[in-house]
Amino acid sequence: MLRHVLRRLLSLIPMLFGITLISFLIIQLSPGDYLAEMRLNPIVSPQTLEQMRANFGLDQPLHIQYLRWLWNALRLDFGYSFAFQVPVMWLISSRLFNTLLLNVVALAVAWAIAVPLGIHAARRQYSWSDNTLSFAAYFSISTPVFFSGLFLMYWAYKTGWLPIGGMTSIEYEFLPWWGRVLDVARHMVIPVLVLGVFSVAGLMRQMRANLLEVLRQDYVRTARSKGLAESVVINRHAVRNAINPLITIFGFELGGLLGGSAILEITMSWPGLGKLIADAVLQKDLYVVMASLVIGSVTLVAGNLIADILLAYSDPRIRYD
Amino acid sequence: MAQQVIRPGAVPRATARGLEPSQIRTPAQLAWRQLRRHRMALAGGAVLVVLYTLVIFAEFIAPYSLDYSDRARFYHPPVVPQFWDARGVSLRPFVHATTLTDPGLRRYSVDDTRRYYVRFFTRGEPYRLFGLIPSTVHLFGVDEPGRIFLMGTDQSGRDQFSRILYGSRISMSIGILAAGITIPIGMLYGGIAGYYGGRIDNVMMRIAEMMIAFPGFYLLLTLSAVLPTNVACTTRFYLITFILAFLGWAGFSRLIRGMVLSLKEREYVLAARAAGLDDLRVIMRHVLPNTASLVIVVATLGIPGAILGESSLSFFGFGVREPCSSWGNLLVAASNLPTLILSPWLLFPGVFIIAAVVAFNLFGDGLRDALDPRLRTG
Amino acid sequence: MGRFLARVAVAVIALGLAVWSPVTAQTARLSLPDVPNPRVIEASDVGRFGGTFVTTSISDPRTFNPIVAQETSSSTPLAYLFESLVETNRFTGEIEPNLAESWTVSQDGRTWRFKLRRGVQWYDGRPVTADDLIFTLDAAFTEGVQSSLPDVWTVAGKKIGYRKIDDLTVEFRTDQPFGPFLRSVGGLQPVPKHRLESTLRRGAADFNRSWGINTNPRELVGNGPFVMHAYVPGQRILYTRNAKYWKVDKRGQRLPYLARIVIEIVPNVETARLKFHARDIDMYAARPREYAELLRRQQAENFTIFDGPPTFGTEFLIFNQNPAGVRPPKLTWFQNVKFRQAVAHGIDRDAIVRQVYAGRATPAWGPVSPANRFFFNPNVRKYPYDLARAETLLREAGFTRGADGALRDAAGNVVEFVIATNSGNTDREAIGNLIRQDLAKLGMRVTFAPEAFNTLVGKLTGTFNWEAIVLGLTGGLEPHNGQNVWRSNGSLHMWWPRQERPATDWEAEIDRLFDQAATTIDQNKRRQLYNRWQEIVAEQVPVIYTATQLTQPAFRNTLANFSAAPLAFYDLETLYYRTPYR
Repeated sequence: MLRHVLRRLLSLIPMLFGITLISFLIIQLSPGDYLAEMRLNPIVSPQTLEQMRANFGLDQPLHIQYLRWLWNALRLDFGYSFAFQVPVMWLISSRLFNTLLLNVVALAVAWAIAVPLGIHAARRQYSWSDNTLSFAAYFSISTPVFFSGLFLMYWAYKTGWLPIGGMTSIEYEFLPWWGRVLDVARHMVIPVLVLGVFSVAGLMRQMRANLLEVLRQDYVRTARSKGLAESVVINRHAVRNAINPLITIFGFELGGLLGGSAILEITMSWPGLGKLIADAVLQKDLYVVMASLVIGSVTLVAGNLIADILLAYSDPRIRYD
Repeated sequence: MAQQVIRPGAVPRATARGLEPSQIRTPAQLAWRQLRRHRMALAGGAVLVVLYTLVIFAEFIAPYSLDYSDRARFYHPPVVPQFWDARGVSLRPFVHATTLTDPGLRRYSVDDTRRYYVRFFTRGEPYRLFGLIPSTVHLFGVDEPGRIFLMGTDQSGRDQFSRILYGSRISMSIGILAAGITIPIGMLYGGIAGYYGGRIDNVMMRIAEMMIAFPGFYLLLTLSAVLPTNVACTTRFYLITFILAFLGWAGFSRLIRGMVLSLKEREYVLAARAAGLDDLRVIMRHVLPNTASLVIVVATLGIPGAILGESSLSFFGFGVREPCSSWGNLLVAASNLPTLILSPWLLFPGVFIIAAVVAFNLFGDGLRDALDPRLRTG
Repeated sequence: MGRFLARVAVAVIALGLAVWSPVTAQTARLSLPDVPNPRVIEASDVGRFGGTFVTTSISDPRTFNPIVAQETSSSTPLAYLFESLVETNRFTGEIEPNLAESWTVSQDGRTWRFKLRRGVQWYDGRPVTADDLIFTLDAAFTEGVQSSLPDVWTVAGKKIGYRKIDDLTVEFRTDQPFGPFLRSVGGLQPVPKHRLESTLRRGAADFNRSWGINTNPRELVGNGPFVMHAYVPGQRILYTRNAKYWKVDKRGQRLPYLARIVIEIVPNVETARLKFHARDIDMYAARPREYAELLRRQQAENFTIFDGPPTFGTEFLIFNQNPAGVRPPKLTWFQNVKFRQAVAHGIDRDAIVRQVYAGRATPAWGPVSPANRFFFNPNVRKYPYDLARAETLLREAGFTRGADGALRDAAGNVVEFVIATNSGNTDREAIGNLIRQDLAKLGMRVTFAPEAFNTLVGKLTGTFNWEAIVLGLTGGLEPHNGQNVWRSNGSLHMWWPRQERPATDWEAEIDRLFDQAATTIDQNKRRQLYNRWQEIVAEQVPVIYTATQLTQPAFRNTLANFSAAPLAFYDLETLYYRTPYR
């Protein structure tokens, strides 16, 4: 297994090279550049624009630009953001924690709810509780995040129970440590609800379907007929087999922890990475996009690797060598 | 390749059990029998039939064209045909005419002195049914200056019901289109990777990971700049969906591969291999069918995923473009406070999205049960 | 609200055009221990001290370096820290002394002398001197420094000359008299030399990155009413009162009144509005469609929504007349003034005002917004919605309509073209749709195609591969700042940029008018020149204006010294809480 992990990590190198090269070309060949907004400002002269292009290194041939970026990136220098004139890494690290906090909590909540509910729904297929859960799931996967976010904020305003958007209150810096934790927790309720419920629905449906599939397998029948207790049959035998696709999904979700919540972050002014990356993509803030691609690829590969290891752990039949 | 000896499933079960030929049923018939007993699935199927009828006959059913706009009646509340008013009851449904009184608060006054009866198979704006047959007959309509806005109008005074119908073309097909591309490719790719495992799996999955990490957004930007601007907005969108789906199979293939890694060690697969079946056949006949339950869930979840994915694109301004409509871009246009407070009827597209999602899932559930031989009764 | 307006009227007594000579006596001489001649804010009420004002910004600042700052998300947060030489009165648009307490101009209009206010201090206690001013200019003009300020400080291709006379006096010199001098050069905001000198010496690249958003806010040394206390990325900027500020109210009390200011970063307008309703924030710039609804709620929620002035920006439809971008026959149509006039008559601007802006806009006919009281010319040719007139014009230009209803030119080509706009801007998309439907009534086959902003700008300024665009530009008081749009060699002369020589007589005349107005000091003469320019634009309609939006700011009633003046809704230093709050 260790060899497998090492090999996977090594394979990251050509992969990153491929992704960054292709992405760089596509980004640079797509029309428009970071200066678009400034080009429409009547006061800014063409000379100034040329000057800025040169400062950003955008006047160089593409391969030089890429190689220069690659050389710096190898030394973990991801360059400066065009828009913010600060190191890309500073920009990303200033928001990394916020996004991780939100997504990890949402992920944990979603899994903690979805798996038991899925098991329950599968065991009582077509009972009223299964049907209710199913319909709740359909409802939440049909509601786009920008709408449910807005709707819940409107509800928060109407009831006054929860803060509207953001991550902290204005008073935050004057609060004691427990007040700060409470403050952030209060701000997290709606975003976690929106993100969590959305993924609960999908996960629950998956879990239910897989478990139903497994429960029909012969070995479950055998186990039951041997007189094993139903809870043992379900937990020891069925769930373990049913969880397989969920582990793969878990890997994806780990990989998407950093950039996956952009729309929610914009809607609810959560100071996260998703919004930063979305803005950079829209404005063609090249080096921020490149760094986010690298980070995204690394987390994706890491997530998939973890999923593969968990897969082998949950199902001893799976081998990679 | 070794000559195949055993072909499980090739022998019809019915005859194997020694039943009379009249009772022999093909697997498809069995599935249909099973499906018919599944009430929820049938209800879901019925909703789908209705929705797809709306899709096919959109021009005929919609009282107004996609481009129709009544500049004097924007943000108009829904006009529902009524059977009675202050002057009494009528057997024929009718509506009253309205005039704008307050553009800021979007208020209209109703003129109830005259009734405008709903006419069926009435003449209206010309269109081409299925894009071919020219016609001017609409399912229903009212005389001028009455208006039949079943679901109100938007900011430009366009009939929302008609726009939802036209939008259903895109929304009811992108999911199918995306699933139609990603599922076959993903199944085959993931099946092969998982089945062979080892080095092949490693290389194939690394390629898939590259596909996942690929910035599809920029491809979209590049494409929309390269495509001529005067092609119909639907054509353009289908092309974009097609390409995005083409990039999107990779995630699904990982899911399948994960299952196949486990399935391939099962007894029946080992048996099939021992019997000397060639690999492709084992994958197609014995491994992939066992992922059916997963595939159906992924497909039924993927359809709302695609509808919402389109709305996310619209959120950033890259979805279906004005003046065309889709459920997603209608909902994006409605997701603001003035609408929520003053014109909540503009959330109707959301109702359609939910209806479609529920219908697809119910139908998918039923289908899965129906396709599963172990569940068959009688 | 009545009281508010009365105060505005008093404020408008104004310093008039007399400002162009040195400012004369202020009523009663007030002074502070450290500032012998503080700036007295006469126009506003005397307020009470204390309180926190919470406002919003739609995006994060991009830099804290005022020389490098390019857009409002950076310059607005910096306006609390840095002050300019002269200031434009937000009610009257007149120029008033600020950091510079007085100035003189020579007879030939080429030499300007500014005298700085004595006793003004940077936050760290150092005095603000002529050296800081010179340093700021040096920095902005340094090769490689990413600043658009030199664009404003360049007259007829030559940068302005400047030198220090004494510690508090700086002299500027231009080759030719420069009409917009006070508004452009007077906007100069000095930065502290003692803080930034060493970075500039290390080179332009370092200077561009100095005072970035990763700087400790305490290092940002300014001279404005507030001191930046903290910046939390993606969340908020916090300010505290500058106790050494150099402005006083009518009673001689040192400003500002507010103890703290918070800018909350809220990227979504809907969220900002909910926060306003929930009393999290004190001001909300409502959208036109929300005016009526907010008006209904202002009593119950204790705020006031103002029937504000028009914006300075413009919204328009423009046809590509650049031979490098479109070919005949389209080029021929677009270059034909009668075609453009017909289109101008074919657009139902009232429908735009009513539908898109819920009545909170006025039809627009020219490049200057009516908000610009100095330069707006109301007497230009107008193009009311008139299909008959449009059809006559098209006939005169040789266009005919066939039996199929399609409009054809003299050679029989069907008139069809694509109107683009930037996707995601719902107002513009609605306007584009209205225009498309309107033009269809004239028999034109128009495709409406919103595109990504970057792509659109790339086409507009780079490849020129477009036919018609619905777009908007921001504007300001000074028409000279639009020269990049209006001169035929301008890079933003959208319909045909960077012409080597003017393609038409009227473009040549506009070039001449801009040259003349730039070198005229007499503001009334300048106004006449710019009036003529607006007449030509309205006659030739290279740009077909649609509508000018009105503003409708909503403010908590707990705040005072706020009003919907044309240039800004409040001055930070005089804003105060009527009641102790927060």
